[in-house]
Amino acid sequence: MPAAPRRRFAILLPALASAWLAACGGGGGAGSGGGAPPPPAPSRAEAFRFLTQAGFGATTTDVDEVVRLGYGGWIDAQLAVPATRQLALLRALPQPNTQAERQSAWFATVLDGRDQLRQRMALALGEIFVVSEASGLNQYPQALAYYHDLLADDAFGNFRRLMEDVTLSPEMGYYLSMLGNRRSDAAHHIRPDENYARELMQLFTIGLVQLNPDGSVKTDGGGQPIPTYDQPVVEGFAQVYTGWSFGGSVAFEQPSFDWLQPMQPFEAYHDTGAKMLLDGAVVAAGGSARADLAQALDNVFHHPNVGPFIARQLIQRFVSSNPSAAYVRRVAAAFDDDGHGARGNLGAVLRAVLLDREARDPPAADSQGKVKEPLLRLTALWRAYDAAAANGRYDVAALGTLLGQAPLQSPSVFNFFRPDYAPAGEFAASGRVAPELQIATELTDALTADLFAAAVFQWNRFNAGQDPGAVVADYGRDLVSGDTPAMQVTRVAQRLLGTEPSPSLRAAAETLAAQYPDDQPALRLLEIVHLVATSPEFAVQR
Amino acid sequence: MDRRDFLKLGAAGAAAGLLGWPRPLRADTAGYRALVCVFLYGGNDAFNMIVPASAAEYAAYAASRQNLALAPDVLLPINPLTADGARYGLHPSMGRLQALFEAGRAAVIANVGPLVQPTTRDEARARAVPLPPQLFSHIDQQEQWQTLRGTGTLVTGWAGRVADQLAPLLPAQRLPINVSITGTVPLSSGDRTSAYVVGDQGVVGYAAIDAAAPGAAARRQAMGALLADAAPTPYGRALQRLRQRAFELADITQAALAQEAPLATTFPATPLGRQLAMVARLIAARGPLAMQRQVFIVGAGGFDTHDDQLALQPGLLGALADALAAFDAATVELGVDASVTTFTMSDFGRTLTSNGDGTDHGWGAHQLVIGGAVRGRDLYGTMPRLEIDGPDDLDAGRIVPTLGVQPYAATLLKWFGLDAAAIDAVIPDVGRFARRDLGFMLPG
Repeated sequence: MPAAPRRRFAILLPALASAWLAACGGGGGAGSGGGAPPPPAPSRAEAFRFLTQAGFGATTTDVDEVVRLGYGGWIDAQLAVPATRQLALLRALPQPNTQAERQSAWFATVLDGRDQLRQRMALALGEIFVVSEASGLNQYPQALAYYHDLLADDAFGNFRRLMEDVTLSPEMGYYLSMLGNRRSDAAHHIRPDENYARELMQLFTIGLVQLNPDGSVKTDGGGQPIPTYDQPVVEGFAQVYTGWSFGGSVAFEQPSFDWLQPMQPFEAYHDTGAKMLLDGAVVAAGGSARADLAQALDNVFHHPNVGPFIARQLIQRFVSSNPSAAYVRRVAAAFDDDGHGARGNLGAVLRAVLLDREARDPPAADSQGKVKEPLLRLTALWRAYDAAAANGRYDVAALGTLLGQAPLQSPSVFNFFRPDYAPAGEFAASGRVAPELQIATELTDALTADLFAAAVFQWNRFNAGQDPGAVVADYGRDLVSGDTPAMQVTRVAQRLLGTEPSPSLRAAAETLAAQYPDDQPALRLLEIVHLVATSPEFAVQR
Repeated sequence: MDRRDFLKLGAAGAAAGLLGWPRPLRADTAGYRALVCVFLYGGNDAFNMIVPASAAEYAAYAASRQNLALAPDVLLPINPLTADGARYGLHPSMGRLQALFEAGRAAVIANVGPLVQPTTRDEARARAVPLPPQLFSHIDQQEQWQTLRGTGTLVTGWAGRVADQLAPLLPAQRLPINVSITGTVPLSSGDRTSAYVVGDQGVVGYAAIDAAAPGAAARRQAMGALLADAAPTPYGRALQRLRQRAFELADITQAALAQEAPLATTFPATPLGRQLAMVARLIAARGPLAMQRQVFIVGAGGFDTHDDQLALQPGLLGALADALAAFDAATVELGVDASVTTFTMSDFGRTLTSNGDGTDHGWGAHQLVIGGAVRGRDLYGTMPRLEIDGPDDLDAGRIVPTLGVQPYAATLLKWFGLDAAAIDAVIPDVGRFARRDLGFMLPG
């Protein structure tokens, strides 16, 4: 056994140790029990599939690593990789920064960074704990980079910590109105803003109705769903979230506008009455803003809904839109207890999501899998073909319009798509959902196809005279002299799909390729790449 | 499942549309009628859009609204034909709406909100009658307005259900009945039909297969070939259906739009202005598209004024008034103003109480209906008493609606051509309300 795993083992959290041993067949370090034979190494196709679920697109190097380490070993290695700091990338540029630069920094991170799983989790968390540039935060690119880094830093940590960090971020404070929220003033008919109170519960943690551990909706005797909270509870939490302003402010009425540190409390503006929380809990009168907040966040964190609520959404972001109830239950169980008594261990939850048999076994039902987010289709193409920008920037104008989504640019707090979105027809009729189809319209299909056409036919290394900020891909790595059209199709499919294409895609690609003579292999290759990259097949992961 | 079967699931196919209906439903589809839904996302504070100006009513409003109340001398007076004992004015930024109202082309529908049945304040407070669930949740109330599901489980939108019914009666139409300029919305989602989604800049084609591009024909052939055999997953099949339809409709729509001369009417350079300009262009092209019944959906965001309400409302309401007025002028230019009716919807109204500089999620709110077929210059429904803890206040200044969305929508659909049985099928709870026709549309 090489020395490297021993060193890696030493810095892992104890909860992960035994699972790592199971994945790599035991051996070096403080082994405890097991004796199970090591699992077979994943095939290259299986490794590619895993990386599609867990990162921003598989490269040959990534596939090598997964084959070598196994799934669990790769996850363990990823858990140890520190976060790429988006704010630092921004600050290294001439000031002031722009939102375009923030987006460029995001691309630089996900296309070149080693922290693939962490950044993928940051993307998923940013689609649950939504904060967006489509607000007054438009003027503050560094604020959004700070928020992004917050999510990345907490990606594998504890969910309770994540709740607090998000709650005290001035970005979320601004976006959902907790920043500057003040106590009641009955004489002026002023009541605390309920925005954050409502959305923290509805969208970030427990949802609107009580859930069973497998994510199914609990019903009362009459078959009706049971609300998790009512209006008095919303008002109770609203009263908790009072008195907070920017960190470093000299007074509540003189905010510092420092977007890069947590908010701080001003007790004179904090509601001091008793406050109703979930399930009959009450915050006693007279508490400080910070103490009340801790009690309130604990109250939400310990609600039994959190496990299944978060489990199902994370499965949907990484693996499958319609997980079985059993899969949700297994992942929710990992949230409830990581195997060492800790609730809310996101590292353990991610391992449960990605290592579950429903994620790793070949898909059995046709409802397994999901539509890939358009952003991830683009990063997959660019990672596969080692895309880079000459000046280190990754400039893509109007990305949100072209793809229907862009990093931290959701049109509202409800993200680009809802977890329970089902298009009319086959999905709605069968009770299945397909969140990503909410942004798949005739408009975005054409705009996305046009972006991919530009990415293939314009922004490639065969063309000279690119803008220094253009993201230029090296499709020539699949240009091998002597390749027949059929061989080119095989190469591109391996690069983008990780496997043999469907007969239909192969036939269409070969027919298309055959129209280009053998003395135009580069153009022929680009046509194949474009066809595959814009195909419905590439847009689906199973 | 072969290609014809899975394409049928999304297409407004005439034969498919009749499946499941016990008898053909009657609707008047002669001539041309279009509904234009303007959805105000976030919950529009209509109590600062239409403000009581007479002494007693203004005093109640000001006492409730405190620092968020508009001063009486800035309100733009409107003079409804039917007196209700009070006077009213519009927000000062809505001069163009004032002009529409006074010209008889706009109506105010008072205090509309999602209900299951007519509901008094005491019934609502006591939960003595069924209420739509999650009354103050954005997403749920957006869905209530758009699906009219009440306490039921309908996932389709009422315009989607209209399209499900009417599409088989209009087989020559070349576009779906529903067209959205604001992305995917529940309103236009039917069991068999879905909206055609376009942008506000015209129809986007596929550049790589545009006839002028070199190699386009071969690419088009190849991309089309990928749509022939049904994909193995419902995800793949949905994407195939989408692209098939996008290919077909892009060609049809671009060709039709190209035949139309540009409109003389100018639209404001705002998101709503651009969307309504696109609607006007599509209406201009209704001839080549063989359209007789259309529902357009546009949307404007930013109405969730938890903060800075006084600073934000002039822009929000001014943009709304200006875009509505420009669109009305465009329909006059096209000679279709008596055939096009525009109406607003929003998640909810907002609280009478403030949180310091903004308002929270409310319930009932006033809506606007505009067009040449509208019996304009009047208020419909019952204006609520704007008193905290008053006879219309559920609590904390959330006003109980005096009209459900059902009769509001039913009035529009009757004008659109649906008969009573069709309206019952589209709006299941409409029979629980006293009136199915609120009278704000001119007869004929």
